[in-house]
Amino acid sequence: MSEQPPSKRPPGTCVPWDEKRKEIPEIKGDEALVRRVWEETDALAYLYIWHCLLAF
Amino acid sequence: MAAMSTDMEQLYQQRLKRYTTAMRNEKPDMVPIRPFVAEFVAKYAGYTCQEVAHDYEKALDATRRCAADFDWDATVANMVFVWTGLTEAIGLKYYAVPGMQIPADTAFQYIEPPEDDAHMREDEYDPLIDDPTGYLFNVWLPRVAREVRPMGEPTSMGNNLSFVKGGMAMMQYFGALGNQVGRLRSESGTVSAIAGILKGPFDIIADKLRGYKALCMDMFRQPDKVIAACEALAPHLLKVAAMTSDPAKQVPVGLWMHRGCVPFLSPPQFEKFYWPTLKWIIEELWKQGIQTLFYAEGEWNPNLKYIAELPDLSIVYHVDRGDIFEVHKAVGHKFCLSGGIPNDLLAFGTPDEVRTCCKKVIEGVAGDGGYVMDASAIMQDDTKPENVKAMTEATREYGVY
Repeated sequence: MSEQPPSKRPPGTCVPWDEKRKEIPEIKGDEALVRRVWEETDALAYLYIWHCLLAF
Repeated sequence: MAAMSTDMEQLYQQRLKRYTTAMRNEKPDMVPIRPFVAEFVAKYAGYTCQEVAHDYEKALDATRRCAADFDWDATVANMVFVWTGLTEAIGLKYYAVPGMQIPADTAFQYIEPPEDDAHMREDEYDPLIDDPTGYLFNVWLPRVAREVRPMGEPTSMGNNLSFVKGGMAMMQYFGALGNQVGRLRSESGTVSAIAGILKGPFDIIADKLRGYKALCMDMFRQPDKVIAACEALAPHLLKVAAMTSDPAKQVPVGLWMHRGCVPFLSPPQFEKFYWPTLKWIIEELWKQGIQTLFYAEGEWNPNLKYIAELPDLSIVYHVDRGDIFEVHKAVGHKFCLSGGIPNDLLAFGTPDEVRTCCKKVIEGVAGDGGYVMDASAIMQDDTKPENVKAMTEATREYGVY
């Protein structure tokens, strides 16, 4: 397989955190927590569409 | 009750050890039996095809009944794999549903993308390659799901509902499958045979995007785009397979292949378009300790030289129409094999003929271990229960080491 260029939407993501972070003016508390939960729920949507394609 | 649950757990552990030992191409205490049974379970339990497709609880119940009645080491939690309740919730256009478009006693049917109106147009390789997930959400899903409105068009209540219903239905269904795995273990000591899902990039394009015939034309008219599309899809298919695989890495990911074998692709076409990205995915999974069940439906023996390139033990090679003895000679030293009992024999033959066939296969390929008993392909409602019983009993009689 040939070398893949970096993707704007890597595997496992729908709206990557870097993109989402630009919309949030300020995070007063634990940013790592906000990021982790965002990525976990984002992955659910990722699995949804890829399961529609693969399994249904 | 406590004694029974302890006995069932002991049985489970015994079966798990038998199954995983064989899959590591070693010799267990006896040949494991791992039938892939779909609408067969409906027939056995007295349900229609409509009932098991549309009400997954009935499919799960029927599977548990079979697991309890037959002495199987492993089976799939639900091999009637498309829950049509979910597909109807979002209005997927590519299924004919038992009891709706087709008779209640006919298994659900998959409908190929129309040649003149494919789900992915011939000039859409670049957006797919550039952003596969975005393409699926923004272009593909609106085309294949009646309820989903295309980008830029006015939305609707149906559109909004489809995402809620689809997402929640999917979570409910996968939750039920998780529960089923536990019940198979606790109620009948049966191992859940596979975990996770994988398909090859070429098959995804053929089955769900361009359609097989249109893709055949693309291989001649825009071959570089086909290859690039396969390469763009591959990391995502790897990701999904890994995310859904067995956390304990004991049972393999199911790989379902449709268009890789003759006569769909010639071996040179297989080598150029189908194999490189699929091989990469299997190898990357194996680097993570995840084995793949290479469910090779059809005649795959012309491609054995490619399959032999895979790392030892990285796959369990399932044989359908290929000569299993030839397969064993070519790759039996590298991989565990499964299957090789023809479905038409199980549907139209006699129990004695089934027993003879099972004995021949066991004696021919299972002598050093590394073999799992199963039919050549998924058993549907034409399979006779007495023949499945014969296959099970023959394995227990002739498959003890």
